Amino acid sequence: MRTTRLASLSTALIVCISSQAGISSDRAVRIDGGTFIQPVLLDENQRTLEMESFYLDRAQVSNSDFLDFIQQYPNWRRDQAPGLFRDADYLKHWPEPDALGDGVAGADRPLTRVSWYAARAYCQAQGGRLPSMDEWEYASARQRTLTGQSDDDYADALFAWYSNPGAETLAAVGQGEAGPLGVHDLHGLVLEWVEDFELLLTMGDQTDLLNGSCGDTARMMPEFDAAHYATFLRYQSRSNYSPRTTTTTLGFRCAYDPEDMK
Amino acid sequence: MQARQLLLTAASMTLALSLAPLTLTADERLKHDGEFMVDGMIFGMPEARVFEEDYDGPPVVGETMTALPHLAPLTHEGNKTHEVRLDTFAQKIEVANGKTFNAWTFGGTVPGPTLHVREGDRVVFTMKNRSDEMVSVTEPVPGGSPFFSQLNENNYLKTEPAVSPMPHSMDFHSGTVAADDKWRTIPPGQSIEFEWVANYPGVFMYHCGTPSVLMHTAMGQYGAVVVSPKEGYDTDDQVDREYVIVQSEYYLRKHGDEYRYDHTAAMNRNPSQVVFNGHVNALNSEPLRANAGERVRLYLMNAGPNDTSSFHVIGAIFDRVWYEGNRENEWRGMQTVLLGASNSAVVEFIVPEEGSYKLVDHEFADAERGAAGTLIAGPRRQ
Ligand SMILES: [Cu+2]
Repeated sequence: MRTTRLASLSTALIVCISSQAGISSDRAVRIDGGTFIQPVLLDENQRTLEMESFYLDRAQVSNSDFLDFIQQYPNWRRDQAPGLFRDADYLKHWPEPDALGDGVAGADRPLTRVSWYAARAYCQAQGGRLPSMDEWEYASARQRTLTGQSDDDYADALFAWYSNPGAETLAAVGQGEAGPLGVHDLHGLVLEWVEDFELLLTMGDQTDLLNGSCGDTARMMPEFDAAHYATFLRYQSRSNYSPRTTTTTLGFRCAYDPEDMK
Repeated sequence: MQARQLLLTAASMTLALSLAPLTLTADERLKHDGEFMVDGMIFGMPEARVFEEDYDGPPVVGETMTALPHLAPLTHEGNKTHEVRLDTFAQKIEVANGKTFNAWTFGGTVPGPTLHVREGDRVVFTMKNRSDEMVSVTEPVPGGSPFFSQLNENNYLKTEPAVSPMPHSMDFHSGTVAADDKWRTIPPGQSIEFEWVANYPGVFMYHCGTPSVLMHTAMGQYGAVVVSPKEGYDTDDQVDREYVIVQSEYYLRKHGDEYRYDHTAAMNRNPSQVVFNGHVNALNSEPLRANAGERVRLYLMNAGPNDTSSFHVIGAIFDRVWYEGNRENEWRGMQTVLLGASNSAVVEFIVPEEGSYKLVDHEFADAERGAAGTLIAGPRRQ
């Protein structure tokens, strides 16, 4: 399949990554495994998943994190990264291919205008990986349960963000309240890449023959309340991106397997 | 299965041969390999092209693209190919006095511009998803369509650039194509180009078809295409005024200083505003104009996304109604025209006297929410 083939190609761009000594737990927090009811139906026969424990970055990758990465792997600079792995707007907001600036290009702002390939390569270079869609949604669901956020408040906040994402004035990473899991800004700062973002629908090789077109929400939603719609819209919009896509409100954070932690 | 397909193909070929128009041969109207004619209409468009382009020019291009309620007159004879661009991007708009929200738009307005073509015309359509760019529609735009100057003269939506990255698509009800190809979703930064032939006359909706289609349309992504019949309507030479009216609903809730989409209200079909041409005051602050004794033609489109419209003009009777705008569907003497979501009609009435005529959705709960406008008639001109 297209994604898999290109993914292995992009992996080849990072040559000779020496295994890191281990990820510091300052950076990432442990998300304990457990039972997870999927908020979107990916498979008619499966609703409940048993999740393994994993680690997740406390905050999104920032501009300065990514600058460090491309200084080590200059083949991911915007003037060197092959067009196959990024669209024309990749890192366009940085004043120079290897220099940060002000506002959304500031050191502490979440990295945006980054392709899925580049995000994947970054996490791999840290000794981690992109979280799977289930891991990301599991973390989000657990956080909601622990904070007791109501469905309506969650839906309100998400629809408000989708329609007015504030792409011109992004706050710094890790500034939003961490919440009981110790994870910042899962919602409301930027949308995040996940490893299997095309799982639900895809534009290239058609994993879903019905294509996720007009009126295709009902067969994918277990409930028709506003909270499920808000979650569905996150799945849906990400599914319609291409792995080369970069936008002003799309960033990422990395995940790690427990054995890779210090 | 194969035998059946063969039979169908043979039948289509016979039809194409027997019904091909006298003026143009099939060879002259077919443009690409794979196109074929049935009943004189063209099907089998080439595959859509998805690409990236370094484009920051006018987001609306096409000489017959107009801002509501205008309709560009067709000046060409017979059929032609229209090169049309309609980019999609976010825009802050006002929908009622002081009530603004960040809309997802085609061309920067809600509803988007109206495209006017003739039955049998071909449209080569391009759309760039510019939802992560600030795009202005109020600057003078060389090479842009009449849409821009009309909008500048009466920018009742008070449009301002906004950013809201989101994948989008374009679904023209006036096109007869494979939707999974032509109406496919493209992410921010990508463009799509495809063709369609206006095989059927009428007034057609266009909209974004990306899930949740309810949200994408309720956020503002729709507009109208007017396909004039190739023989015209019988009253063409008697019509004095022509206007386009698109009815639609907003589902908004206050959020800080602005209004935001309310999905629960949209699912419950409980609109905050029901409007003609995108604003509760669009047809009151700038009323439609006519004179006593004139014949007025309205191209009506109910974009929904959910509700019906019972369109009525207080003090007039629709002398002619062509349901969906097809001259075969003619009704006479109607007081009200009922339009479901995505239904349309071409209606005509004779303006009886000097005075003011209210245009309403006669489902009065919707009129009270904004689906009302005015036509002001001046004195009779001899
Ligand atoms: Cu859309």
